[in-house]
Amino acid sequence: MNIGVILAGGVGSRMGIIDKPKQFIDVYGKPVIIYVLETFDNHPDIDHIAIVCLKEWVEDIKILIRKYELNKVRWIIEGGATRQESVHNAVENLQQYCSNEDILIIHDSVRPLVSHRIITDNIREATKHGAVDTVISTSDTIVKSVNNTTISEIPKRSELYSGQTPQSFKFYLIKQSHEHAVKNSIENSTDDCQLVLKFGYPVNLVMGEKLNFKITSFDDLLLLKAIIKMGKTEMV
Amino acid sequence: MLSKSFKIVEPKRFDLYIEDINCSNTEAIVKIENAAVCKADIRYYLGKRDERTLGLKYPMNLLHEAVGTIIEDKSGKFKVGTKVTLVPNLILNRCDKECIHKVCNKKELGENYCPHAKFASSNYNGFSKEFVSYPVTNIIKIPQSLDLSVMVFSELISVACSAYRRVELKGDETIGIWGDGVLGYILSSVFKFLHPNGKIIAVGKHKDKLLKFSCYKTFLSGDHEIRNSFIDVGFECVGGNFTGSAINEIINSIKIGGKIILTGVSENEVEINTRKILEKGLSFYGVTRSNVDDFKLAIELFNNELFYSNIKKMILSENRVTNIVDFYKVFEMECENKQLGKNIMKFLF
Repeated sequence: MNIGVILAGGVGSRMGIIDKPKQFIDVYGKPVIIYVLETFDNHPDIDHIAIVCLKEWVEDIKILIRKYELNKVRWIIEGGATRQESVHNAVENLQQYCSNEDILIIHDSVRPLVSHRIITDNIREATKHGAVDTVISTSDTIVKSVNNTTISEIPKRSELYSGQTPQSFKFYLIKQSHEHAVKNSIENSTDDCQLVLKFGYPVNLVMGEKLNFKITSFDDLLLLKAIIKMGKTEMV
Repeated sequence: MLSKSFKIVEPKRFDLYIEDINCSNTEAIVKIENAAVCKADIRYYLGKRDERTLGLKYPMNLLHEAVGTIIEDKSGKFKVGTKVTLVPNLILNRCDKECIHKVCNKKELGENYCPHAKFASSNYNGFSKEFVSYPVTNIIKIPQSLDLSVMVFSELISVACSAYRRVELKGDETIGIWGDGVLGYILSSVFKFLHPNGKIIAVGKHKDKLLKFSCYKTFLSGDHEIRNSFIDVGFECVGGNFTGSAINEIINSIKIGGKIILTGVSENEVEINTRKILEKGLSFYGVTRSNVDDFKLAIELFNNELFYSNIKKMILSENRVTNIVDFYKVFEMECENKQLGKNIMKFLF
C-alpha cells in the first residue's frame, strides 16, 4: 500500500497573510493544496491519502475534498507544533492501518507542481531502498558563512543538491526513525531524511524538478500564478 | 490537476506550459503514454505553412497520433487504468437543423468533412502533453495487452479504413497504391484484410521500401508494365512536391471509368492531365482524416496477429521523452527520417 501524506499544518507566517495559511490561498480558482491533492488523487499507484492539518482547518479541508471530488483521502490528522511533530502524529495514527513494507510518500502541501513522474520514482526507489529524498542539483554556487558576514567555505557544487519533497519511506523505517528521535531528544527537525540518517539508515536520491518549488513567499506565489496563467492560453 | 504541455510557439521552438486540466461530466482525463509525429506536425514544426496560418495556430500542442491510460472518467464509460486511443477529429456539436452543410450523417462523407469539425494539432490543441481532458465520445478502448507503440498507428490505420470506406468497392477490384511511405504501407496492410478478394499493387520510388510491402505486386514508378495490371482504383499516398507526377501516373495507368482517391497533402497547386481524365471518365475522391467508426474498425484489425506484426515493423525506434529536450530530438529525427517507419515517443515527464 502506498500512502500520500500531505503536510498542511503550516500557518504561512512568512507570507504575512493573517486570515489563512498559504496552502489555502486561491490561485486561479483553486486553493494551492487542491493542486497537490489532485495530482496524488489521480496517481495510479497511490492507494490512500492522509492530510495532516491544523485542527481549526479540518472542516475546511473536508469541504474542499467534497467540492473537488477527491476520492482517495482517507485520513485527516491533526498537525503538531513543528513539522517533525506533524509527521510523528501521522505515523502514530497510521500504524494501525499500515504494514512494515507499506510506503509513505510525505509531501508539502505548498509544492503544487509535483509531477506524476516524481511520485512514481519515489514509490519505486523507496520500495527498493527503504528511504528516498527528492533533490535537484544546484545551478548556483553555494556559499557557507558561519558569521553571516564573510565566506567561510565554498563547497564543491557537484556534490550539492537542494532538497525537495516528497520524501518517501517504508513504514517501519520512518516509524523507528521518529521513535529514535524522541528517545534521543532530537526535536524540530525540518526534514524526515535527517531523522532517518540519524537513525543510521542510508537515504537514496530521486531527481526532482525545478518546477517542484515550494511556495514560501509572495515571489513564489507570483511565479506560480504566472505559470498557471500562461497555461490558460486558448486557441480561438 | 496540473499538467505539463509542450506547445509550438514559432518555427522550431517549443515552450513548456503548465495547464490546469479539469474533467467535465462528458470527458475523461487520459495520461498520454505513446505518440508519433505526423508529416502535418513537421510542417508546423518547420513553419512550412503561410505566415498568416501559422500566426493563427501558434501556440499550439502538436501530435494527433497518441494512445494513453484513463486516470479519471466522470462519465463512467471507462475504468481507471484502461488503455485507450484518441480520435483527433472532434465534432463538438453534430449536424443540427441549422447546419447548411449536412455531411455528418452521410455515411460516405461523415463528420470529418464537416467545416465545423475540430482536428487536434490543426485547429485544436493536440496531444503533446502529460494529461488531456477529452470527450469520451472520442476515446476508444484498445486491446489491453498489446504494445502501446504499435497501437499508436491506430490513427493512420483508421485513415486507411476511411479511404476504403469512401469509395464503396465490390471486393474484387484491383487496387493500386502510389507511395512507398508509411501511409502507403499501412494502406496496403489494411486492404489486404479488408479487400481479400482483390489484388493490391504498390508503386513507389524506392525498391528497398517496396520490398517490405506484402502485396500482390510492386512496381517502381515509371515502369510501363503498371498499366497492364488493369487497376480499377488508385490511391495516391505521396503528397508534397511529387503529388502531381503520382496523380498523372495513376491517370495514365488506371482502367477506363476508374476511381482515384487522393490522400496526400500538397501545399502547392498541382497540374494534372484533365484531358485524360475526361477521355477515361475517371472519378476523384478526397480523403483525409477519419472518424470514430474508422477507429473502431482499425482496432478490430489488430486482433489479427499477422496484421499486428506487419504494423509493428513500422517502429523504427522507441524514445523516452522525459523533458522538452527529448521532445525536440524526436522531431529532429523525424525531419531527417528517410526510412520506412516512425520514431515513437514514450512520454515519461
